[in-house]
Amino acid sequence: MKKSLVISGSGGQGVMSAGIMIAQTAVSAGKYATFLPEYGPEQRGGSAKCTVVVNDDEIISPLMAKCDTLITMNEQSYKKFATSLKSGGILIANTSRVLSEITRDDITVVRVPADDIAVELGSIKCANIILIGALIGADAGIITEEAMLASLEAKFGSKKKEVLDLNRTALAKGIEYGKNAKA
Amino acid sequence: MAKVLMKGCEAIAEAAVRAGCRFFAGYPITPQNEIPEYLSWRLPEVGGVFVQGESEVASVNMVYGAAASGCRAMTSSSGPGISLKAEGISYLSGTGLPAVIVNISRGGPGLGSIQPAQQDYLQATKALGHGGFRAMVFAPATLQEAVDLTYNAWEYAERDRNPVMILMDGCLGAIMELVEFPEMKEPDRKGTKAWDLNRNEGESRNARLLTPYFPEAILELKNTSQKKMIERWAQNDVQVEEFMVEDAEYIVVAYGISARVSKEAILRLREEGHKIGMIRPITLYPFPKESFRKLNYEQIKGFIDVELAIPAQMHDDIELEVKGRAPIYEYCRSGGLLFDDDGVYAAVRKIIDGGAK
Repeated sequence: MKKSLVISGSGGQGVMSAGIMIAQTAVSAGKYATFLPEYGPEQRGGSAKCTVVVNDDEIISPLMAKCDTLITMNEQSYKKFATSLKSGGILIANTSRVLSEITRDDITVVRVPADDIAVELGSIKCANIILIGALIGADAGIITEEAMLASLEAKFGSKKKEVLDLNRTALAKGIEYGKNAKA
Repeated sequence: MAKVLMKGCEAIAEAAVRAGCRFFAGYPITPQNEIPEYLSWRLPEVGGVFVQGESEVASVNMVYGAAASGCRAMTSSSGPGISLKAEGISYLSGTGLPAVIVNISRGGPGLGSIQPAQQDYLQATKALGHGGFRAMVFAPATLQEAVDLTYNAWEYAERDRNPVMILMDGCLGAIMELVEFPEMKEPDRKGTKAWDLNRNEGESRNARLLTPYFPEAILELKNTSQKKMIERWAQNDVQVEEFMVEDAEYIVVAYGISARVSKEAILRLREEGHKIGMIRPITLYPFPKESFRKLNYEQIKGFIDVELAIPAQMHDDIELEVKGRAPIYEYCRSGGLLFDDDGVYAAVRKIIDGGAK
């Protein structure tokens, strides 16, 4: 089934790397995927957005008006993209930075203070992995926990064991938040 | 080889390497920087040469030189940089040298924007440089198509001794999707002897490159042979996708990313019972005229030109074939703003329902 995901935030937060990892994970699991980045000329601090489409068949259009799942990593991106989430969709908000009250009642909302958790775990850099965990926990139907663990192994396996462990822990934390929100 | 998830620009770069391209010179510009970035490490791996030129003009002239030595050569840029390369592209055609020029297009005119657009259709198909020459222009809509068209581009360039352009919007340049690469190709050096100045002792050394042309009659002969060449293209080399046109009352005309978004909208409209089809030029030049000529105009209520360009640039080419037999509508965005399936769907619905003119 065709599923679209938008990840949005600010340059440097790991928006693009999260999107690529999700697309790669989906592909490894035998699905088709497209990853479309959109960003301005800034290296850091500018608006960053990517769209990932995952499907069982070849993907015709990688550009969708509305998405099934939305991850917003900061306040600005929440304000900008909240309306592009389909009714019945899943919103995953990094509540360390999304401060607005989330008022839509036609969607599932996963509130994850991802930055705070990441800092507690030891590195702000794993905030995006926590949010990917939330996506899996909330049953967005895009990637599975097993496939994502395999991706983490492939990406960080050659680095220090601590890095891989940190990301595994981050993923597990996120999954917990996702499951609780769905329950 | 298994399919890999890859970025559009990088897929074109790898396809070029596999086609036997061993020389690249270019100058940075968004949104095509991943092509030179990729080739900067990939070409040395296969014994090729990568040069980041001091300018676009220098880069295209290095490609001109590499082509004259029988090497499969390529340069890439985006709108403003292609304008700077125009002189060199014209020289390639004038001298009769093969090369591949990639334009990953962005907003224009002028410096425009770094965001995706299809604002270079007219430049690519009508006048890539001065002097009235034409080049074949390929417009992929998927990354697999980008790979396949780039892989074959030198076959046309060398056959015709003329530059070939790959024109792809910045959206497809940036996107990642699955591609499968063909085998490494070993170009046949016998085929290059008519223009390859870099021949060894004992090899045939008949290459002659003319520029400028004296006396005048020789240039007229050259122009005449180029005219025959483009007539042959129209006969033999047109590539087009005709999607659900048999019973169509409305036909979308779109290429590149616009065609992919349109196709999604067409499938939705079909589900609702609307008879919509699409003509997608794969070769923008030669333009797929026959696809328009063979249509039953009794049945057709209109064409919808869908482009990331304002004003629509393909409109005139469509009009030349439609000849006033049906209205041509436009649905366009520009400046780096993209459309989505909802947008195309709504625009086409409005036209069907009679709300648009």
